[in-house]
Amino acid sequence: MAEEVETSLMVIVVDLHTRQRYLRQQPSQLVHVLDSIMTLANMHLMLKTKNKVAIVACNAARSDFIYCDSDAIQPQPIQGQSGNTVQKQSDGQYEVFAHLETMVKQNTRKFTLDEKSTFFDDRDGESLIAGALTLAMCYINRINREKPTGEKLNSRLLIVTGCAGGASQHMAYMNVFFTAQKQNIVLDVCSLDYELGLLQQGCDITGGLFLKIPQLQGLLQYLLWVFLPEPPIRKKLVLPPPARVDYRAACFCHRNLIDIGFVCSICLSIFCKFSPICTTCNTVFKPPTSLVPKKKKKPNKGVC
Amino acid sequence: MADEDEGNEYRWETGYEKTWEAIKEDDDGLLEASVAEIIQRAKRKRQAERKPNTRLGMMRHLYIILDCSDAMSDQDLKPTRQLCTAKLLEGFIEEYFDQNPISQMGIIVTRNKRAELVCELAGNVRKHVDIVKQIAQGPCSGEPSLQNSLELALSSLRLLPGHASREVLIIMGSLTTCDPHDINVTIQKLKAEGVRCSVIGLAAEVRVCRQLSKETGGLYSIILDDCHFRDLLLQQVEPPPAARTQDCSLVRMGFPHHSKIGNDPADASGAPNNNAMSFCMCHLDVEGKMDASKLGVAGHLCPQCGSKYCELPVECRACGLTLVSAPHLARSYHHLFPVDNFLEMDAKENMKHNCFGCRRKFVEIDKHVYKCGACSHIFCLDCDIFVHDTLHSCPGCTSSCKNVK
Ligand SMILES: [Zn+2]
Ligand SMILES: [Zn+2]
Ligand SMILES: [Zn+2]
Ligand SMILES: [Zn+2]
Ligand SMILES: [Zn+2]
Repeated sequence: MAEEVETSLMVIVVDLHTRQRYLRQQPSQLVHVLDSIMTLANMHLMLKTKNKVAIVACNAARSDFIYCDSDAIQPQPIQGQSGNTVQKQSDGQYEVFAHLETMVKQNTRKFTLDEKSTFFDDRDGESLIAGALTLAMCYINRINREKPTGEKLNSRLLIVTGCAGGASQHMAYMNVFFTAQKQNIVLDVCSLDYELGLLQQGCDITGGLFLKIPQLQGLLQYLLWVFLPEPPIRKKLVLPPPARVDYRAACFCHRNLIDIGFVCSICLSIFCKFSPICTTCNTVFKPPTSLVPKKKKKPNKGVC
Repeated sequence: MADEDEGNEYRWETGYEKTWEAIKEDDDGLLEASVAEIIQRAKRKRQAERKPNTRLGMMRHLYIILDCSDAMSDQDLKPTRQLCTAKLLEGFIEEYFDQNPISQMGIIVTRNKRAELVCELAGNVRKHVDIVKQIAQGPCSGEPSLQNSLELALSSLRLLPGHASREVLIIMGSLTTCDPHDINVTIQKLKAEGVRCSVIGLAAEVRVCRQLSKETGGLYSIILDDCHFRDLLLQQVEPPPAARTQDCSLVRMGFPHHSKIGNDPADASGAPNNNAMSFCMCHLDVEGKMDASKLGVAGHLCPQCGSKYCELPVECRACGLTLVSAPHLARSYHHLFPVDNFLEMDAKENMKHNCFGCRRKFVEIDKHVYKCGACSHIFCLDCDIFVHDTLHSCPGCTSSCKNVK
């Protein structure tokens, strides 16, 4: 059999929420973070000519692509220089890299200055990372569908965020994790600030890496050392040990993590105490006496 | 019970199979050639029929009764009925546990007028698939006994707590059954216990099966070929509506907080070691395989009694608490909160847009585009299918703030 052509698609989710600590402290650090991410993207493109990159941005108001294949340099018609595309390489930099940089900067500006983004200020809500992931999954699904026959596409997701939380989009996160797991898409998370329980679960489910970086200055180095290598290669590298993932459930009533809880048999909502009615699906429960399973031991033989 | 029987008519009466009616001529007198479109239309129709917030039986307990009689060595399915069934069952089992992660399944085979419990109710995919593989190698002989199998399933299902969804799926190749007593008594017992019995017939309709599924609220279908067989099996993957007899209750469950350390044993050795070594409870009784019970620190500990298990979900053998992880429950949520159907719209007015999901430009060959009623974003057909079948959340709704609750 002819050797299979493998390409890799990396979709990076960048959190642009203004509440992130590093942005509050010094907004200009955004440039540093974006530069690091663009460098990672370019390095990924450099590893193989057929590698692909897409970048999705999100904040509390919305999430949207800031770089995808419709932004990429269109293949040039051989004669005739029409079309929007390539600026001549300026300082000897590979034009694809320069192009990615311009597009990302341009679209980031558009994204952050969008009226919807500016309308919300930082006290409102959590970053819509799950939305960004959902978009990314649709995008990966299409790239996978459109790939030439005989080519193998490995897709992966990388989230770079300095936000905490994620509880408000819990179900959307879970849907993405399970879809990714089913389709062998690895989810990596580079957290700039917090240990994120939910995203750690996502990394564990999909076989990706979770890393909370100790200092922002070293972001690029972490990105290149830890997240640039393809998942199959990572086994051979000495990487930070996998975190112990907390799979305890949060109760729907108080969002406390619980060891033992009560689950509605109709909608599977989790509660920390017995309540007579389910607040999610409004089912009225039988009184707790019925909770004890009827374990009458009966002879359990086949009839013949 | 009478109203539950509605919608459980013969499959060919439901109209789904009338695919030729789905093929229409377009303005140019050409046929809509896309098979995907026909399938998608059937899917959309099924989705539309499903009422939201139907109460579903999420904690399913399903016994598969597999005919291993003489009739199963027929070669009308290739290579034989038995091998074909086993192959399809493997796929079914994987899909079943993927879609119903806190559910259980047991397997009963019937041959030589006897019923044999080959697999107790359990939630372990690999074990079930292995058992089905073994069954495929086993003999097919004698006559099946429907009544013995049903009684055997019932004896186990009736012990379950009231909130469990009790189901039996019979795969029947034989046209006869050899029963010790009046099977109608058994059927009434099943009905009284709220056991939903569905039958997939490999040959032709048998009255007693018809009776059984009708009385207990199950489905009865006869396969046309192996593709149809697969389709019928996959119908059983979706959780059924909750039976009338099924209680609603709050079930006490434990959420163990020790995850496995590392996925492959190779890097588990390097992990921090601050716990006592212990044997897991799930592999203790595997005979002849002492090394199967893993001595180690990794595992999930029952929060009530501290027993250790390798895999979740499981019912604690020591204290009876059901142990699950939060993602297990979350895996089932999409059945309960499906994405509403998108509205089909003419593509012509939307030519200048991109699909909101995958960012594909709409082109001439797109006949329709699809609009989410909640967020008003426009999607292509492929994204519509992907969102409703696989992803279960709308990219538009999750990416804009006002729609996120
Ligand atoms: Zn609570
Ligand atoms: Zn409920
Ligand atoms: Zn226990
Ligand atoms: Zn699309
Ligand atoms: Zn929507």
